[in-house]
Amino acid sequence: MVFLGAILLFIGLFNQTIQTAILYQRHRSIATKCSDLLDNMLLNPGVPLYWGKSNCTPTGFGLQDPEFTQYRLSPFSLMRLISSSGEPVYYLKTGQYYSNVTVGFGNFLLVPFTEAINYSVATHLLGINGTYGFRLTITPIVTVSISKLQSNPLTLSVNVKGAGFPLSNAIVSYCFINVKPTGGEQNFPAFTTDYGANSTNAEGSAILSFPTVDETKESYVLIAYAHHSGLIGTGYYEHILHKENYVVPFISNFGNESGEVLLAHSWDVHGGDNPAAITYNATFVLLTEDFTLREMPLGGGKVGLLNYGNDPHTYEKVSIPTYNPGILVVTYRKSANPEDSGVVLMPWGISSMAFPVTLGDNPFGKEWVATDIRQVLVNNIAYQAKLALWSLQGYQVIG
Amino acid sequence: MMRTIEVFLVIIIITAAFIISSFFAVLPQPRQVSPLNLRRLALTTLQTLDVDHDLSGTAFKSPNDLAWGNLQIALSACLPPNIVYNLTIYEVLSGGTQLYTPIHSISNAESLGVSSDASSYLVASSNVTFSVTPEKIGQRGGGGTLYILNCSDANGWWITGYTAQSLAADLYNLLSPYFKATIMVQNTTQLAKILNGTSIQGETLRNATVINTFGEAVPIPAGYYTTIGYRSSDRSYANYTYTLGLKVNQYNWTWVSIVGYPFYYVTNTVTFKDIQNTWGIYGMRIMGTDGNGGGPSGLNAFLQGLDRKSYSYNPNGITGNPGLVYLTSEALYYCNYYGIYPSPYQTSTRALPDSILTTYNLPESSVTYIFNKKNSWIPGAVYRHIAAGDNKITGSLFALGLTRTPDIRLTALGLLCAFKPRLYRSEYTASGTSRLVVLQLGQVGGV
Repeated sequence: MVFLGAILLFIGLFNQTIQTAILYQRHRSIATKCSDLLDNMLLNPGVPLYWGKSNCTPTGFGLQDPEFTQYRLSPFSLMRLISSSGEPVYYLKTGQYYSNVTVGFGNFLLVPFTEAINYSVATHLLGINGTYGFRLTITPIVTVSISKLQSNPLTLSVNVKGAGFPLSNAIVSYCFINVKPTGGEQNFPAFTTDYGANSTNAEGSAILSFPTVDETKESYVLIAYAHHSGLIGTGYYEHILHKENYVVPFISNFGNESGEVLLAHSWDVHGGDNPAAITYNATFVLLTEDFTLREMPLGGGKVGLLNYGNDPHTYEKVSIPTYNPGILVVTYRKSANPEDSGVVLMPWGISSMAFPVTLGDNPFGKEWVATDIRQVLVNNIAYQAKLALWSLQGYQVIG
Repeated sequence: MMRTIEVFLVIIIITAAFIISSFFAVLPQPRQVSPLNLRRLALTTLQTLDVDHDLSGTAFKSPNDLAWGNLQIALSACLPPNIVYNLTIYEVLSGGTQLYTPIHSISNAESLGVSSDASSYLVASSNVTFSVTPEKIGQRGGGGTLYILNCSDANGWWITGYTAQSLAADLYNLLSPYFKATIMVQNTTQLAKILNGTSIQGETLRNATVINTFGEAVPIPAGYYTTIGYRSSDRSYANYTYTLGLKVNQYNWTWVSIVGYPFYYVTNTVTFKDIQNTWGIYGMRIMGTDGNGGGPSGLNAFLQGLDRKSYSYNPNGITGNPGLVYLTSEALYYCNYYGIYPSPYQTSTRALPDSILTTYNLPESSVTYIFNKKNSWIPGAVYRHIAAGDNKITGSLFALGLTRTPDIRLTALGLLCAFKPRLYRSEYTASGTSRLVVLQLGQVGGV
């Protein structure tokens, strides 16, 4: 009797300590799993190797660029992940939902759910379905933000910073795209480009001036790349005169050799007031190794008319004939009024516009979340990959 | 009374055991339970900073150089705010007992906290040229001669935009470092000489590689080979390619067809000076039926000769048009190894069928695929002949059934994939040429 009492007392005294120790061990194993899983995602290209450049569903999940080793990720594999951050967009004409990464007005990346890899597929391919939940976040290290200092003459400030730290002496190379509403063939819109370079001051700012631009009459976009001791980042700034009717680019197909983009009228996607027909001119600018942009001609559908509702010109298709990262630039104007112009951009490969990627469930409210981070390169743009991992096998902290 | 004392004793013993074991059972701090992998973070940070060789450049600069300030800014910018670092550059020494000596160090904290981890990264000076010495093909197993057909008395077909001579010069530059001897076969007379088993410059004839730079046409020497090559019964020169097949088998050569349908035409600007290939190129004719067809008979006859079958005129085409094709993973690996980067996808319109593997004793286990098979079509591969019941290779054919215009880098890549010569690189830890960068990271804040 005394012995049994002693045993119960002993167990009661040690119960708390033992449970805490077990939980610590479990938490540590989640941390180890987190590190392993992150390396598993980043250090293998998946199966098949080039799944990011095709329509196929991979049979092995991995984000590494198959043409490189180490922590270099494929800008196209990342593009095929369903974003957990943006609200999906539904487009009635195709009857499809699209994964949405929109960074401000005019910068779209919309990938159809049917062509993208969702969280559930990823967990199955990683072999953690039902055992672990995760969120993978891949964000650019260098933030390049652009603000307008004055309108006349047009002066823009390019601000470059890292993790809350301004990057002084960074070299800023830029491409200024100026929309010419009737400058293209058959009065379709077109654009002119202006290239240049500057360097940031001690506050991490570079001042760029464009005295010939009259922003009351012209839409424009500035794309800037900042380089500093191996760190490379990108940013953009748009001035758009007409936002009521614009072009929304949806990726419709990842082919073996090229991609296909569907250009839709904004009213059919987001609605709005005063719908009107627009004409557009689509151009692909290729990102070269020195981070300058080079124009690449597109085939059929590069210029056209888009109308809303049930008009025959409700959308057009254009092919991007390369798997080199770049930017699809679509200039547009209201068909009835050439002065109402604008421009929208779509990255081809997430790195060309330094878009962030978020895949996975929300870690909020989970009992214990382990995190780990790596610095990675996506087509030489510096990103930080962060994985948050938690167990789904349910246990509670007692006491 | 005794019971009460026993109970008290038990309570005292258990309480003492609990206190003592609690004293020793120290649970880890939360930071140690779920730590960041600082070692990996350090390594990936160093790799990121060296993406354009900026880190390598800075590591060799003097401590007063502005580049160190920029490096410090970049480090602070890319690491999370709660991470402190110490980056130290070491000179790599040779000889003596000390291998590394510190040169310069930058840090953003006096100490790295209670726990830290580090990664090292070796950088090379931009002033140093590291030499790479290729192993010569033939050093292991004999052979090692590369013949490049550069015949001045022949014309090419499906090499649009190039001449056979310009392709030969490029192939020489690409491949001669890998072979013991590289011989440019300057005319069809020299071609006849090697077909007769006589070397041109004293090189080893057996186990050689012969690259036909004339595309779909094959040079034919005047005289004996023209005479025996032509058969009036089938009005074709296919017996010439049959003879070539026999020679390839006899000398264990590797015959290389760089583009299109192999052996479709036969060329000699003297013999066929008034004959054209039906496309207006003189000095050349289609292999069969007196120049009016039967082009495929050349390849069929070559394969018969390679397999030492008896000659039988066969003008039926055997190639297919699989369209877009991709380099194999092995070929992609060797792209990086040898630094040859053709486009990984190509268009194939003259792919050979896999049925030739069994028909002509070209066992699949000995085939080196350069492009992935597409259905039953083989767009590019090195086929090795092993006679039935034998185990040694007796002649090979490397056929790239791609559409024109030829990319001779694919030819070079295919041969290197087939022979796999090793590359011997210079010592990276030589004194003064390399420095070791160690990045140590620690966490601040929290418990």
